[in-house]
Amino acid sequence: MAAQLVRKAFSTAVPLARRYSSEVRTVTLIPGDGIGPEISAAVQKIFAAAEVPLQWESVDVTPVRGPDGMFGIPQAAIDSVNKNKVGLKGPLMTPVGKGHRSLNLALRKEFNLYANVRPCRSLEGYKTLYDDVDVITIRENTEGEYSGIEHEIVDGVVQSIKLITEDASRRVAEFAFQYTKENNRSKVTAVHKANIMRMSDGLFLHCCREVAEKYPDVKFEEKYLDTVCLSMVQDPRQYDVLVMPNLYGDILSDMCAGLVGGLGLTPSGNIGLNGALFESVHGTAPDIAGKDLANPTALLLSAVMMLQYMGLNSHAEKIQKACFETIKESKYRTGDLGGSAKCSEFTNEICRKIAG
Amino acid sequence: MCTDPAGHFGSMAALGKNFFNLVARGTLSLPSHHARCLHGSAPNENSIQAPVSKPKSRTKCTLIPGDGVGPELMYSMTEVFKAAGVPIDFEQFFFSEVNQLMSAPLEDVAASIRKNGICLKGILSTPDYSRTGELQTLNMKLRRELDLFANVVHVRSLPGVKSRHTNIDTVIIREQIEGEYSALEHETVKGVVECLKIVTQRNSARIAKFAFDYATKNNRKKVTAVHKANIMKLGDGLFLRSCQEIAKLYPKIKFESMIVDNCTMQMVSNPRQFDVCVMPNLYGNIVDNLAAGLVGGAGVVAGASYSSKCVVFEPGARHTFSEAVGKNVANPTAMLLCGTKMLNHVNLQYYGDMIRGAVDRVLKAGKVRTKDLGGQSTTNEFTFAIINNLK
Amino acid sequence: MASRLSSRILPLLRSTNAGQLTLSRTAASASVSEFDMQHKNPFAKKVIAIPKAEYGGRHSVTMLPGGGIGPELMNYVREVFRYAGVPVDFEECPIDPQSDGNEDLEYAITSIRRNGVGLKGNIETRSLSRGILSRNVALRNELDLFVNVIRCKSFPGVKSRYQDIDIMLIRQNTEGEYAMLEHESVPGVVESMKIVTAENSERVIRYAFEYAQKHGRKKVTTIHKANIMKLSDGLFLETSKRVAKHFPDIEHDSMIIDNCCMQLVSNPHQFDVMVMTNLYGTIVSNVLCGLIGGAGLISGRNYGDHYAVFEPGTRNTGTAIAGKNIANPVSMLNAAVDMLEHLGHQNHANIILQAIDKTINEDHIHTPDLGGQATSIDVVQSVVKHIQELTKDKNWSLN
Repeated sequence: MAAQLVRKAFSTAVPLARRYSSEVRTVTLIPGDGIGPEISAAVQKIFAAAEVPLQWESVDVTPVRGPDGMFGIPQAAIDSVNKNKVGLKGPLMTPVGKGHRSLNLALRKEFNLYANVRPCRSLEGYKTLYDDVDVITIRENTEGEYSGIEHEIVDGVVQSIKLITEDASRRVAEFAFQYTKENNRSKVTAVHKANIMRMSDGLFLHCCREVAEKYPDVKFEEKYLDTVCLSMVQDPRQYDVLVMPNLYGDILSDMCAGLVGGLGLTPSGNIGLNGALFESVHGTAPDIAGKDLANPTALLLSAVMMLQYMGLNSHAEKIQKACFETIKESKYRTGDLGGSAKCSEFTNEICRKIAG
Repeated sequence: MCTDPAGHFGSMAALGKNFFNLVARGTLSLPSHHARCLHGSAPNENSIQAPVSKPKSRTKCTLIPGDGVGPELMYSMTEVFKAAGVPIDFEQFFFSEVNQLMSAPLEDVAASIRKNGICLKGILSTPDYSRTGELQTLNMKLRRELDLFANVVHVRSLPGVKSRHTNIDTVIIREQIEGEYSALEHETVKGVVECLKIVTQRNSARIAKFAFDYATKNNRKKVTAVHKANIMKLGDGLFLRSCQEIAKLYPKIKFESMIVDNCTMQMVSNPRQFDVCVMPNLYGNIVDNLAAGLVGGAGVVAGASYSSKCVVFEPGARHTFSEAVGKNVANPTAMLLCGTKMLNHVNLQYYGDMIRGAVDRVLKAGKVRTKDLGGQSTTNEFTFAIINNLK
Repeated sequence: MASRLSSRILPLLRSTNAGQLTLSRTAASASVSEFDMQHKNPFAKKVIAIPKAEYGGRHSVTMLPGGGIGPELMNYVREVFRYAGVPVDFEECPIDPQSDGNEDLEYAITSIRRNGVGLKGNIETRSLSRGILSRNVALRNELDLFVNVIRCKSFPGVKSRYQDIDIMLIRQNTEGEYAMLEHESVPGVVESMKIVTAENSERVIRYAFEYAQKHGRKKVTTIHKANIMKLSDGLFLETSKRVAKHFPDIEHDSMIIDNCCMQLVSNPHQFDVMVMTNLYGTIVSNVLCGLIGGAGLISGRNYGDHYAVFEPGTRNTGTAIAGKNIANPVSMLNAAVDMLEHLGHQNHANIILQAIDKTINEDHIHTPDLGGQATSIDVVQSVVKHIQELTKDKNWSLN
């Protein structure tokens, strides 16, 4: 039954629905909670400085009670993203307690965001134990372990179902190779555990192999999840683009973020059938909210990813360069990077670099 | 397939005897936790000497060399054992999934381990597919057969092994008979596969108790439960709840929980915050390997799988290194550390400490290093270095 | 006073009514202490099954050294275990005898709950203030160790009045006179309450009969004072008569405690298995220990439904001889052997038992309490020596 549902949703799979044009485009902005509003404002300011041909449509996603009595995203927000097809989102608070569906999950469902892309790159100038990381994790985002199908069979025995479908696996594999090609990367590594989960991960692997044949110029390899973990922390240089099912992606992408200095520096993009949503994946940091101390880098880099996705590569390049340079110079670093600058000072410095 | 190893120790028996003589004469000062100052007037010469337990008896141990470089590592380990005069007899089985025709039957191997209570095992390689459509791997079958529910990997920075992180000392405890490794998979309709993850209250409580008991026994201060209960509310939720229940019985040990993705991130950026971690099967597999990577790779981390009645000692990160077979380059450190853990388990601490000390000295000196640690030495050279350093 | 009494008795009354099943776990736990729940209410056992602490063939065992000679005896046990290669790890829980607080004791009880098994010296309760209960009694009550089993068997090498005594002494361990309910009703008049319940009597009596059946014993003797305490001891006696009917192949008789003491010192061989309430148990066990050669030899076992605690048979701390290297280590070693048997390490238990047997009965290495000249360490060394000889040609496996 679950399978049929999934099928239906995927029947009109058109990967990478992009619209290239030069006119001013509208993008939905979800500022988020906590430090969200301030870092969103910082991004908007930098974009204005770089004269990006975009206009923002800010929406509120505070849950409202729907007709079914469940709390959900307001219709206006959904309409906005549906119309604009592209969104940028700050951190959202996940309400604790029952009756609330995770908003992130709801957005993911609503827009069929099937692939999560997270580039992790060591930032020059910010010293961590790893200075040679440059990997991109691509994660299947709709099924797998997070299918949400669980039940207690008898008292004290719970069964959760991990769902792997051919369509979803192929779709994410297709996206991974396409992305690799477009971004001039050389290698795709499929991460799996097919030695244990022979059928489900076997199916995922099978799809990756099939797609790989269509891209002869992209190198393809298969690695066990545990092997990747082990060698990633020893020598991250051997990996380039990684594609994997949901849970593995969740774990590996956070781990890679850890290698380069945490979630405050890693952007994230969700590619879907009905649009794309770029977001910062760090928390809402309520303790420093409103104090002008937050680091907007993750959201800024997510916005840069968004520009790349929309084909505005020159603007993307310019902003990214300014951002990296500012961090490298280390004069205007925020507190989480060991500096003492305020969010606004950091932002202003980037704007100055863009202008100059 | 089952060799009688009675002659194994023949050549080195002399060394062993010498050692006993030394002990008997009391010229060798050995670590003893015998409380001498217990009685104000207790005469020292009367107090109990020679803290070698069961010095003259022999212990039997099942040996499974495993696939890949396993046999080479086992050879290295048995050589060291011989040289140290360890009173252990091995009962060896060839056991493999990739070479099924030669493999000893599961029942025989399991029976031997059950009888002996201890086993040293190399890594079995697990093929991605099976011609017969079998979903369980041989490893899984062995674990289920013996009910080896708990896997313990002690990740410790070794002296002289260069790695990015230092002073790591973490124990990762993993449930390993259920969870994602249930081998319950089916194709509902074409192109859609369902894989069941099973979590039971009984096994969750059991592994949680194991973790806390381990922490108590080894003077650890904190247990961290790693889970993904925010998404898998029922399955991992049950695991987390069981841990919380058990934690109440251990008021002196701190209990924390952490979501698995955060855990991996913390592990690579700040691994020293972890003490004892307990987690379900798949997460354990991930974190084991991740942590092994932090301290120098699969060649230096030892692990053990426990049931209530027996223990199987095997390297902590499960890689067969089949590409290195026959090249004489594999690092036997993990296997040797498994051996020392096994000796400690059967009350042969003296030998355990002796071999452990030799390994530490060789690694610390850094003159003889295998390839994976950035050296040029062969497996044999490393083994000889250990033997020369036995004191 | 009345309220304290009723809070103890009420749940009991409720549980003896016909409608026990209506007494749900949650409803009961709101008003009743955990002790009462387990103890007085067999239909609402509140013990959660905790997984056993046995991993890879090794057991974890809680060690409560207690006061007096306890700590030194425990060290001897460790020493002997090390030589015998016993796969047991001890978790030591020292209890500070000076403190009035009960944190240490509570932790020790929790530890026994986790491990399932404990080895214990006698715990001192220094404080005589009225609020402080005896810690030994508290431990037994809290863990619901309802039966105390002492095997009084003569050591042929020990000089004593009688030889060839082999009596099993089974004693109710949690209620009776030890209910710790005392009060001064008017100045100068103190009432002490003795509690006997049908449930607990039946449990311990059934244990006695089952033990007799399992171990080929012929006779069970109930010790009581029902001629005076017609209701309380009467209940105990009635229960034993009722239970005896289920065991037709085992002879059952009863004896009044004062007569019993006389019979014990004049003709102890008439007894086989003896079952009795709490206070009589203390008396009889000490008499018997005296008959066969002192307190330093005999071990005692305390069993509940879920836990087992092993200790020297006569419960005294021996503070006077502490630290003088003259305490007899045999009783604690015997307790440790009992523990190994309970854990299923029969091989190791046999080896230590043989070594003790040789030391006491063949080599005659006796501490002053048995009339010898040897020190504690002499005894332990001899035991260790015998263990080494016994294990010389042995091929070990854990299981």
